[in-house]
Amino acid sequence: MKTRSLNRIILYASVVAVCAFLVFPIYWLFITAISPPDQLRALPPKFWPDVPRWDVFAAIIRERPLLLWLSNSALAALGSVIISMAVSVLAGYSLSRFRVRGGQSLGLFILTAKMLPATLLVIPLFGIFRSVDLIGSLWSIILAHATLIIPFTTWMLKGYFDTIPRELEQAAMVDGCSPFGAMVRVILPVSAPGLAATALYGFVLSWSDYAYARTFLTNAQTNWTANLGITTMKGEYISNWADISAASILVALPVVVIYLFLERYLVGGLTAGAEK
Amino acid sequence: MKLGFNLDLARPSRRHWLGYLLLAPAVILIALIIVYPLLVSIDLSFQNVNIARLDQPRKPFTTANYERLFSSPDFWNATWVTLKLVVIVSFFCFLLGLGTALLVNNKFKGQALARLLVALPWAVPEVVAVVIFAWMFDSSFGLINWIFIKLGLIDTTVSWFSSPTAAFIVVCITMIWKGYPFVSIMMLAGLQSIPEDFYNAARVDGANAWQRLVNITIPSLMPVLGVTLVLVMLWVFRDFSIIYILTGGGPLKATQTLSIMTYEQAFSFFKMGYASAIGVVTLVVCVIASRLMIGRAPDTI
Repeated sequence: MKTRSLNRIILYASVVAVCAFLVFPIYWLFITAISPPDQLRALPPKFWPDVPRWDVFAAIIRERPLLLWLSNSALAALGSVIISMAVSVLAGYSLSRFRVRGGQSLGLFILTAKMLPATLLVIPLFGIFRSVDLIGSLWSIILAHATLIIPFTTWMLKGYFDTIPRELEQAAMVDGCSPFGAMVRVILPVSAPGLAATALYGFVLSWSDYAYARTFLTNAQTNWTANLGITTMKGEYISNWADISAASILVALPVVVIYLFLERYLVGGLTAGAEK
Repeated sequence: MKLGFNLDLARPSRRHWLGYLLLAPAVILIALIIVYPLLVSIDLSFQNVNIARLDQPRKPFTTANYERLFSSPDFWNATWVTLKLVVIVSFFCFLLGLGTALLVNNKFKGQALARLLVALPWAVPEVVAVVIFAWMFDSSFGLINWIFIKLGLIDTTVSWFSSPTAAFIVVCITMIWKGYPFVSIMMLAGLQSIPEDFYNAARVDGANAWQRLVNITIPSLMPVLGVTLVLVMLWVFRDFSIIYILTGGGPLKATQTLSIMTYEQAFSFFKMGYASAIGVVTLVVCVIASRLMIGRAPDTI
């Protein structure tokens, strides 16, 4: 009995230590944001500011075009998610239900496309977008992010459709639905949670991108995404770490919230197709 | 029971036109935004082009980019840096990720909260992770310097981003912090699929905790371990944002991976053909390495 309670104590201590180590950098980001700038240059560092600056978030929104950057990020993410979901819902369903000639090789190609380094694809995309005059436009990153999202969503959705019994469609077709009608009226409504999780995951992929935004949008300040905006703040001659931290928190917040919703679905999606 | 209807979508004969129709939009879009650019970049890698303009006539075919690449010390330096980074970051991601997963998989009060917290850095965008660590390792007012001086590990402040070794370490730490929650998430899922009966049977036979770990847990996790390892290595291999924003590949090319070198050649020096050649080599290495590794892993998770 005594060793058991000792084990408990060790267990709790290690859990607390691990969580502290993982979460401390996030805590420090928060503390940096709400500290007055002069306290950031004080040694020893303060682990809780004497007078927290709670208005730092309002101030940064006033002083920097942060709302514009955030809305650009959101627009780009929405655009690329809508495009990607539109094609990968159909393709995922087809790969899950039909034996299409070439379907398997297409699936394999999509898996390989996950391995494409963004730094390779960004070069031809830059050339292509230049010749059709998309550099500096949000459309450039919407299309570029679709190259990141489609391989993931197609496999996630195929995996999700695989878990839905075929009897559902069969029943619908006995009742007189066409195959397409069975998909739209029966399977898609049943899959709503999976569709939502997949779309959110695509949103996170697009929201987190830096490479494409840096390449296509650097000279178009009004179209900067939030990530690009933050890095330009970091690059200024004197880095104002309180401001940068506050902006970073606002940028990280949406994806952290999505993550809290997504956690249950995460694993299935991340591994989808990986075993092939 | 055999149904008279032609309804079984799984039947081999079900090569329905609808299947092709549903695939068509994806195939067209992928052809336009992935396959075509990929072909363009392969084409570029065999030309001596500086700024990629598709409306200009093609330059003559040449393998000069690849010859220059394989004889360039910068390329071999970048390959070595990439290799070091992949090995170090993947190793620590696994050590910490597996340890964390085993720990959090115990039953205790607040387990749900702990599971949520240990995976949190996975959700933080890479740019934000860089902001956090760039500030913590700041040379004048960074927290890490202060802690290290307090602990007596260093005498004076270290300027982390001007020393090649120190900068490399900071890149590693940032990537490990960002990457290992992913390993934890995957391992936790794997752990939960191991039947409790295995452990009960082992306890009855008198196996201690270590024996249970080595003989049940690790072997059962092997398939997930394999896939996760490939995914983590691919991520480190190709990552651009963390290194580029943190160090830009410097100092003295100490953190210049193949991805950073590709990008720098393309968009700092505008050697698009040369950069494409590096990118193509990177892709080929990725595909071959992951095929070799996944090919050997069992095909179920």
